Amino acid sequence: MALPRTKLLHGREVGTLAGLLALCAALWVATPHFATVSNLVNVVEQSAIIGIVAVGMTFVILTGGIDLSVGSIVALSGVALGTAHEAGLPIAAAAAVGLTVGLACGLGNGALITLGRLPPFIATLGMMSVARGIALMLSDGRPISGYPASFRALATGHVLGIPFPVILMLAIYAVAHFLLTRTLLGRYTYAIGGNEEASALSGINVRAYKAAAYAIAGLLSAVTSMLLVARLNSAQPIAGIMYELDAIAAVVIGGTSLLGGSGTVIGTLIGALIMGVLRNGLNLLGVSSYLQQVAIGSVIIVAVLVDMMLRRRARRAAE
Amino acid sequence: MTLRRRPVRIAAVLVGACLGIAACNRGDGGAPTVALVLKTLNNPFFVEMEQGAREAADSLGIELVVQAPEREIDVEKQMQIVENLLQRRVDALLITPSGSREIVPAVVKANEAAIPVVVVDTRVDAPALEEAGARISSFIGSDNVDGGRMAGRFVAERLGGQGRVAVLEGIPGHETGDSRLTGFREVLAEHPGLEIVSSQTANWERDQAFNVTQNVLQSHPDLDAIFAANDVMALGAVEAVAAAGRTGEIVIVGFDAQDDARIAIREERMDATIAQNPREMGRLAVISADRLLRGETVPAEQPVRIELVTGQQTGAVEAPAREE
Amino acid sequence: MIPSASEPHPRPPEPIVLRMFGIRKAFPGVVALDGVDLEVRAGEVHVLLGENGAGKSTLMKVLSGAHAMDAGRIELAGSEVAISGPRHARDLGIGIIYQELALVPDLSAAENVFLGREPRRGPGLVDRGAMVAASRRILQTLGASFDPGLPVRVLSIAQRQLVEVARALSLEARILVMDEPTSALTERETGALFATIRRLTSQGVAVIYISHRLDEIFEIGDRVTVLRDGRRVATREVDGADRRELVRLMADREIDERVPRPAARRGDELLRVEGLGRHGVLHDVSFRVHAGEIVGFAGLLGSGRTEVARAIFGIDPHDAGRVFMRGRPARISSPRDAIRAGIGLLTEDRKRQGLVLELSIRENIVLPVLGSMSRFGIVSRRMERERASKHAAGLRIKTPSLEQVVLNLSGGNQQKVVLAKWLACEVDVLILDEPTRGIDVGSKQEVYQLIHRLASEGVGIVLISSELPEIVGLADRILVMRAGRVVAELSGDEASQESVLAHAVGA
Repeated sequence: MALPRTKLLHGREVGTLAGLLALCAALWVATPHFATVSNLVNVVEQSAIIGIVAVGMTFVILTGGIDLSVGSIVALSGVALGTAHEAGLPIAAAAAVGLTVGLACGLGNGALITLGRLPPFIATLGMMSVARGIALMLSDGRPISGYPASFRALATGHVLGIPFPVILMLAIYAVAHFLLTRTLLGRYTYAIGGNEEASALSGINVRAYKAAAYAIAGLLSAVTSMLLVARLNSAQPIAGIMYELDAIAAVVIGGTSLLGGSGTVIGTLIGALIMGVLRNGLNLLGVSSYLQQVAIGSVIIVAVLVDMMLRRRARRAAE
Repeated sequence: MTLRRRPVRIAAVLVGACLGIAACNRGDGGAPTVALVLKTLNNPFFVEMEQGAREAADSLGIELVVQAPEREIDVEKQMQIVENLLQRRVDALLITPSGSREIVPAVVKANEAAIPVVVVDTRVDAPALEEAGARISSFIGSDNVDGGRMAGRFVAERLGGQGRVAVLEGIPGHETGDSRLTGFREVLAEHPGLEIVSSQTANWERDQAFNVTQNVLQSHPDLDAIFAANDVMALGAVEAVAAAGRTGEIVIVGFDAQDDARIAIREERMDATIAQNPREMGRLAVISADRLLRGETVPAEQPVRIELVTGQQTGAVEAPAREE
Repeated sequence: MIPSASEPHPRPPEPIVLRMFGIRKAFPGVVALDGVDLEVRAGEVHVLLGENGAGKSTLMKVLSGAHAMDAGRIELAGSEVAISGPRHARDLGIGIIYQELALVPDLSAAENVFLGREPRRGPGLVDRGAMVAASRRILQTLGASFDPGLPVRVLSIAQRQLVEVARALSLEARILVMDEPTSALTERETGALFATIRRLTSQGVAVIYISHRLDEIFEIGDRVTVLRDGRRVATREVDGADRRELVRLMADREIDERVPRPAARRGDELLRVEGLGRHGVLHDVSFRVHAGEIVGFAGLLGSGRTEVARAIFGIDPHDAGRVFMRGRPARISSPRDAIRAGIGLLTEDRKRQGLVLELSIRENIVLPVLGSMSRFGIVSRRMERERASKHAAGLRIKTPSLEQVVLNLSGGNQQKVVLAKWLACEVDVLILDEPTRGIDVGSKQEVYQLIHRLASEGVGIVLISSELPEIVGLADRILVMRAGRVVAELSGDEASQESVLAHAVGA
């Protein structure tokens, strides 16, 4: 069997996947409410929010960067949509405004990092505050509610019994996987994260491809905000707080290196599902919310710890 | 080789954790299960509400499940919790909404699952509810607008209808905070001598309230009174005023009557707070659920008493100086 | 030149300080060491010789505790030891200088020398003065004159290597392993290092010396052990050993160690550089490269050779001069522009600048040309595979498949991947900056043959090298640089090692 590429060696993902399945098995034993079709659909649907943000985060982290502003961009895109809709724009146009705003924020991050030469941490930290502030200003700090059912179907609709958010998430993962494995964009993303200098010396337009990663993150944050607004029937300026950390957690649980250059979106999907299943399971079990935080934090630490240990060993074995 | 060991380890850790948790959480069979979903458990107000609910549940033989998102403002996560509890088929849902409108889709889902919903503390937006065709069984809570009025009347009286007032707002868009401010501003508007020189948010937080107050004291050294939309922020203001060496010169009024605030009032660092009764809300909510499950009806509105707490009546602190 | 070996000094056999018996180490898919024996006496310089992947570095990693062996036994001064890790090895008196530099760039040279063992002045307080003074002393014995208070980042590669050597010396090790310590040193620095090695051995320190330079082995070595494919092939006294025999033992085939001189066949002018200058770095550098021509750039480290390459390739800006490709002015302000104009650059630091270690051989090779193998941004895997295997095949990269991650390859094989990358690029002018640094004799020969082949195919080659035999043997013309200027252009019979060196040092 020919593996398409070594970096996508499925060993790592199989490992994370086994972790997810083990978690599911444990919950199946622990509570009768977990392994029902409706609950499993429910879990995947809930995972879609962080799952989609985490795709963008994967691109950014693969280039060796970080994006702290995704949560704020979620809020700002949503509020932009809400404001546009309130101002009388048809909902499709308003949604386009929201997506454009998210994309623009991402491009802004990219410009600050590549043209302004700011470290990604600083640039996106700034954007995090700026986007949040603008979201609060635009909305006067108030949620903007009331959207047509056609738009809300984004979150509430089903196709063949599968909730639309799940379909959207899977489609986005499929596209992202294709981009990363089969296109210039993907190859350059890995190359830049693996060795930026060598990539530049190979004639890659490092700035453009780095900026593209942040643009993708911004755009997908906006897509997430569409789902969120449809789901809650309300655009909130305080939406998405700490999403950046949940997304980063999903990415690293999925085995992507924070140093850049290695990782896959499939891993990220599994990482996002692990987080979703864990939260769902802890709710089902009625675990106190204090203990839930301990459990989630521990899983992040253990997953990355084990991953790094194995990676070190593999690297040493490779000499 | 090495790669293959990973699944085993992660699996072992996760299975262990879940079985451990499950062992602690295996409920008994017959008793009805009632879920109480709070805004957060990082606020003593909701912790007290949980205690009141637990007492009632224990005496009625109800199994109570309490869940809350980590952050008070996380409407999406609260929605997820509700969804997950519906999967678990609880018998009734008691909820303090993180967002007045955002909770509506969750109520719709509960309605679809034919699980009665009792809303506590924060009102659900009525038009939104109606538009969605959703239905709640009862609302239990205090009248925050009235509480705000109470605070306003206290400030007006203490300042003799003359002075400069600063307001510390909660996170914008919260029904509770907005109602309190509405009531407060309404009363102040009746007194032309009272001027609100600053009204800024401190996001319900103590350290932010400290900073905001310090800044306000810089720009308005002649400040006479501060009204904070909750006690957590009022206590931040108390510290900032103390740091400026002006304790006793500025009237500080909070909301919620937390123990810390009561103590501050007794020690004359703070002047007044508005007592809600979260314990009573929790108790009433569980009792309502019990009655609903028995097929009885409950009133659509169940107001809980609200009162002004000042230096004269702080004996109401139930615990000794510190309970934790 | 290097001072020649001192008078013969027949020594009585010194006590044996290190014995390694039947060392075996396997990695997934490859047996790196298959029962290797090694015996090292006090006070000797014991040379380890072998091609890439022969097992030299692995053997030393076992000795230094970086790898655990699968089987075998290690005795230090007659008693068996179980080395548990690098720190334990250090405590046992084993010092090691790795081929790939392992320094903290933002710490000073002195801080790097004493990293983890800083002299203390009271609890938790580092005695900075003592540290700098001690570092300066050690560095001076190595003939280095730079300030040990400087951060390593600003030091040249040669200076960094000296810092590594100083670190090992400061450990007062009884057994010192040096993995190609001179690969980036100038002649003078090499001479000073050898003097230091001689002083250490006269004090009874055993030095295990890994090198590819046969000259050096005869210069400094006492005995030599040849490894091939994870086995020991022979151990010889260096006195009386035959160069050709050593080469044969390593490679198990006859290799002509000398560089054959090709016949120059000049074609059209490809690259013309006029008056290239960068304030304080380069002054009025002009030269031409024709199709099929190999133009050598010689000079001491820091003479500006690499800087010329960087300026032409668009990495560093230049403030004077113009670059022409095929007679037309080329506007180059980034490596992208340079590649588009038909120029390739093989950099001297392959790990930092040449390769993406996490990517596979295939992915590295096609990196600069991926754009031409894609349609609407989608890469054609078939074209990719064809192109990569076409250019990898001629280079005999030792690997089970092109899907192997570059990280797992030996230094020589990594260098071949970088070369294959520029071959795949099919550039008109290829600049090679120290293309044979740190690779073994066999691979070197292959690189030389490749350079010839490229030239015969009409590629213009710019060869930057510190190895005089290499540059004299390969280049049609040699430009000698000193202090940022081209001080001589030599060709034909005037291009001898002596004349090049004379111009380089300004004699």
